[in-house]
Amino acid sequence: MTTIQYPNILLDTLELGSIIIDEDFNVLYWNQWLELNTGISSVEIIGKNLSLFYPDIDYNVLKRKIRTSLRLNSPTFYDATHHNRFIEISRTKITTSSLKMMQLQITISPYVVEESLVMISIYDISDLHELKLSLQDKIKKIDDLNRELYQDQMIIDVNLMIVKINDVNEILDVTKAFINFFGYEETDLIGSSLSDMFGEDFNKRMTREPIDAQTKWSGEIKVHSDLKGAVWLDAVVTPISDVDGNLSYTVIFHDITDKKRLELLSITDPLTKLNNRHWFNEMYQNIFMRRHWTAKNSFAVIIADIDHFKKINDKFGHLIGDKALINVAQILSETIRNGDLLARWGGEEFVILLSNVDLYQALHVAEKLRLAVEKLNIEEIGKVTASFGVAVFVNGDNQESLLTRADNALYKAKEKGRNRTESLENLSK
Amino acid sequence: MVESGFSEDHLDVLKELMNIAVGNATASIADLLQTFGTMHIPQIMISDMVGLDAYIKNAIPEEKQYYITKQLFGGIFSGEFLFVICENSAINLGRHLYDVNQNPTDEDIHDAVIELTNILSATIISRLTEELNTKVQFFVPSTERIVGNSIIGQDELLNYHKIIIISTEMVFEDQQIGGKIFILTKDEMIKKLKALIDQKLEELYA
Repeated sequence: MTTIQYPNILLDTLELGSIIIDEDFNVLYWNQWLELNTGISSVEIIGKNLSLFYPDIDYNVLKRKIRTSLRLNSPTFYDATHHNRFIEISRTKITTSSLKMMQLQITISPYVVEESLVMISIYDISDLHELKLSLQDKIKKIDDLNRELYQDQMIIDVNLMIVKINDVNEILDVTKAFINFFGYEETDLIGSSLSDMFGEDFNKRMTREPIDAQTKWSGEIKVHSDLKGAVWLDAVVTPISDVDGNLSYTVIFHDITDKKRLELLSITDPLTKLNNRHWFNEMYQNIFMRRHWTAKNSFAVIIADIDHFKKINDKFGHLIGDKALINVAQILSETIRNGDLLARWGGEEFVILLSNVDLYQALHVAEKLRLAVEKLNIEEIGKVTASFGVAVFVNGDNQESLLTRADNALYKAKEKGRNRTESLENLSK
Repeated sequence: MVESGFSEDHLDVLKELMNIAVGNATASIADLLQTFGTMHIPQIMISDMVGLDAYIKNAIPEEKQYYITKQLFGGIFSGEFLFVICENSAINLGRHLYDVNQNPTDEDIHDAVIELTNILSATIISRLTEELNTKVQFFVPSTERIVGNSIIGQDELLNYHKIIIISTEMVFEDQQIGGKIFILTKDEMIKKLKALIDQKLEELYA
């Protein structure tokens, strides 16, 4: 076994402060680390009492700790980062300034128990402490962010209708707003299919398309809610891929029922409930712009007018006149083909737009409508009839010219005795 | 014979040695902290991490705030010393050690908790290792304040360790201070502890 001949050198090479002190705080040893970091030389302090140099230390506490170490013949540890726990040493680190003083970890070890001497080892744990403070700061920031995130989630949860579904359309998660809107229980929804709620058409239109294409989709849908009846929803379906590449979809719904109602009001004739002239004009404009029409692939406009409507009003009053309008509108609506567009043109006039027809087909539809009106039997009035003017789009037509021809044809039908279908075009052409 | 080669005899010896160590701790506390404390007879069991978690949760009510001090000890017999003290007890301890009537500062409480842990670990573990004819090295303890009784991280429960849990309770009735002590050692250390106890048994019956 080797005896260390120069323990002073050994203690000076260690990066720690070493003091040998007795129970009354008289200093017997003060190593180089302490000399350099405190500015107090060993010559100055050895043989003197520590309290002369550091009067602020809580010596009652220090005495108890020294006593504990001596009695138990075992080291005691404590954190001297707090004021008056032990000597204070300035820190010289320039690049960070969070700690002005060294953070010290103290170990009091029994040295010569019989002489009540202990060795106090002082470790500079400032870097560790700085890391701890930095970590605490980061954790606090993360906590703050998480708190904000949680609040945002809560706001989203109660205000936005969001459903998360997997690639087979099963509901994985729903917000409270969605649950409350439809009046379901969350447990009933999780694992069920959106199409169970909204029908297969919804599934096909809204979710299958983006799921199959793995793309974003948005659109408006009309669905039924047990709680609210028919509702209109604006939906945005967004695919989301997790870290493993598994796809799920969030569907964000927005209730647009009121907006739809307003929209409907703005394009609906309040009396007959048919679409109004404003709506027709838009459709009419669209059909002109949409495609290149030819003689073989054309469309037609029919204008219908109830015969002798003024007489009806004069004889039976406006209420009965309105009833005639409603009845005619209803029979026209029931008789037109799927895809044909019908609107109230104004007064006792109606307008019908037929796609992909020639003159023969247009006249046939008009005649069918005329016969349907003719069959009407209104309680207070009896029979009513209507005259129909038909015009088919030809090259060079614009919106006005086509409508004017239909109107002139109607005039012709009136001239020829009413309850007729007329066109200015010649069938043989 | 219980798992890991520990027999009932080994457990009995360990219990007996712990009784001596705990008695030693009580005397030292009375001397050093000028207070009379009592310590319960230690309980010893062998468990895994899940069992340890359940044992700690059973021993510590979850609705309080605690100061938990953990100190490692090394040597042939090594492990972790845990001292758990509830907030009220820790405040009373701070008051007692710092001789203040008002509430002690948080720093004082931390320091007092570490000081008591130093005394408890040094007396109990030192005496235990002394009885087992081996040396022990203590490492710097760390104290943290937690809410509830989740001392063991959930991820740690997945690690399979065979653990010896030695637990006892310390009470200073006059000062209304109480705390729980857990001494934990695992896996290879259990074998070494068994070997030390075997030596002790040979010594006793020689």
